[in-house]
Amino acid sequence: MQRAVGSLPLGPALRARLAAAGFQTAQELLDTGPCGLSREIGISKEEALEALQVVRQECSGDAAKTAGGAGTTRKCTALELLEEEQAQGFIITFCSALDNILGGGVQLTKITEVCGAPGVGKTQLCMQLAVDVQIPECFGGVCGEAVFIDTEGSFMVDRAADIAAACVQHCRLIAEAHQEEDHQKALETFSLESILSHIYYFRCRDYIELLAQVYLLPDFLSEHSKVRLVVIDGIAFPFRHDFEDLSLRTRLLNGLAQQLIIIANDHKSAVVLTNQMTTRIGQSQSTLVPALGESWGHAATVRLIFHWDKSQRLATLYKSPSQKESTIPYTITPHGFRDVQPPAVTQNTESTEMNPRKRPRREEEK
Amino acid sequence: MAAKKLRRAKLPQELCERLSRYQITTCQDFLCLSLLELMKVTGQSYRNVQKLLCQVSLACAPKMQTAYEMKVRRSVNPSSAFLSTTLHSLDEVLHGGVPCGSLTEITSPPGCGKTQFCILMSVLATLPVSMGGLDGAVVYIDTESAFSAERLVEIAGNRFPAYFDSDEKLFCMTRSIHLYRELTCDSVLKRIKSLEEEIISKKVKLIIIDSVASVVRKEFDTQLQGNLAERSNFLARGASLLKYLAEEFSIPVILTNQITTSLSNGLAIPADLVSPADDLFLSEVSGAPGSGKKESGCVTAALGNTWSHSVNTRLILQYHDLPTRQILVAKSPVAPFSVFFYTIEKSGLVLQGSEIYPAL
Repeated sequence: MQRAVGSLPLGPALRARLAAAGFQTAQELLDTGPCGLSREIGISKEEALEALQVVRQECSGDAAKTAGGAGTTRKCTALELLEEEQAQGFIITFCSALDNILGGGVQLTKITEVCGAPGVGKTQLCMQLAVDVQIPECFGGVCGEAVFIDTEGSFMVDRAADIAAACVQHCRLIAEAHQEEDHQKALETFSLESILSHIYYFRCRDYIELLAQVYLLPDFLSEHSKVRLVVIDGIAFPFRHDFEDLSLRTRLLNGLAQQLIIIANDHKSAVVLTNQMTTRIGQSQSTLVPALGESWGHAATVRLIFHWDKSQRLATLYKSPSQKESTIPYTITPHGFRDVQPPAVTQNTESTEMNPRKRPRREEEK
Repeated sequence: MAAKKLRRAKLPQELCERLSRYQITTCQDFLCLSLLELMKVTGQSYRNVQKLLCQVSLACAPKMQTAYEMKVRRSVNPSSAFLSTTLHSLDEVLHGGVPCGSLTEITSPPGCGKTQFCILMSVLATLPVSMGGLDGAVVYIDTESAFSAERLVEIAGNRFPAYFDSDEKLFCMTRSIHLYRELTCDSVLKRIKSLEEEIISKKVKLIIIDSVASVVRKEFDTQLQGNLAERSNFLARGASLLKYLAEEFSIPVILTNQITTSLSNGLAIPADLVSPADDLFLSEVSGAPGSGKKESGCVTAALGNTWSHSVNTRLILQYHDLPTRQILVAKSPVAPFSVFFYTIEKSGLVLQGSEIYPAL
């Protein structure tokens, strides 16, 4: 109640008038009442009432915070977080090697960024995840829906249908092997049509449409509360041309990252972004680095880099708060994103020096 | 979409006038400001500003569709999803042919057959739907002055002798191919911008640009400071315009590119090897006439990384043992890497191992 008037979310003109009239705390405003307020400052009674309602809402929110109420606060102990994290599901990728290095799969409530050269399989992974998020819980999935925001136009419905059909087939085989009742029931609703109907597709042609869509996303997610995955395929594309003002770009990207973090946390969904690679010309050589600059690197919690080694596709876990840096091979089959069949490769976990500034971790075992 | 005026976003009149005093007239200006700036500029409270943001976003945001709706729409009209190339094995691997609604790039060393391929596709697009065509006009933007009308007629006559049996049909076909000669980057961009109206008025079903690389590489020397950024800018703008046209009208867009050898003081730049198709070049480039022994350089598609991200499908043509050449599917969202061998005949490209395309 002792909150200063200047910190209240009122319009700037109104705040200026309140300051000029000498009001200092929110309590004073509430004591004065709408009629008194309108007389002293010279605004209409309706405006005064509106202002007081805003103040009242703010203060009750504050009171709840100081009393330690739940809902608006995010205060909890690490033990509660641990229990939450362990109970949380992962979105599997159908490539067990990739799931392993990620610690189980794509994590909910975190932002995962996938960078890679053109044609290496980023969009394939996104389509695979949009299908995998819908796997029913009895088969080990999170039974959610997916939002697919496409900025490059690389989403092919036929390919997604193929991937979905392969996934349904896979689950059907598991159900036959296990013969449990809830498996059969889940299979009834897990079909090609239902999978495709639960992928919500937005095609954003430029960065304004992307910004607008991300502003509207919280409302959309409240309506469709079963969404557990938001994919933005091509976050770099709309920001890489027609931007003379690079500081504006950085500001917009940071704002975007913040909003995505809030969305991921509030709605318990995973956010997956794909980024392009760009050539950085150094003194003696040029290297491929993720696009959008250094500061964008902080936005994602988990970063995967897909690259080639001769004709083998490799995925490197480049940044993660809980898992070790490692590289695994993967392949793209007509059924989607899959492991490379053994016995081909022993895990290549030594550093393919993607970042010369990071100290490589030494392998203790092996 | 971005240049949409705030008036049309159904904001109240006085608010629009107030914002225009701060030079904020389009949705783009509005959405680029932070919340605090918006509060200052509109004079409204925090909650109201959030509501205004939602309103403006609603005016700009794309419509939602589910993947199922997209699939149903495509299956209702299956023939319109691809343009068959009549190269049977290639069509199979690409699930039908050159996809509609996305950009396809053909890249090759000089003389392999890019322009021949483009001319062949132009003929195919004018064919009626029953024969696998799109029954529409073609816009052909030629930057190298390589298009030859005689060759067009020769290919048409030899490939479909039963259909083009009269001069009348040939003239009809040639009338629907609109050729534009553009020799600078600016004019190419202007031409692309003007295409939207042309596509509607002339019922265009295929856009070909032959070739993007020649006009870009003439004007932008990437050794010079600042040119790399400008070139990427131009390419990205062109790519997004073409993507918009391709998707809006559901038509295929074919672009051609060149091969470049990046010599670099004896060190191959690993950064340029962005796909294994580039590796294939290194091992097979010796077939190209006049290249001699492979020296210290590596061969990649021109126009850089950004461009490679923008195209959705990439086909690479290469020399093999003359006269055989090969066509590789290097990048495609639906096809794995595949190689096919072909030769160039009177009737255009002919895949080896398949009989000459059966007369209809």
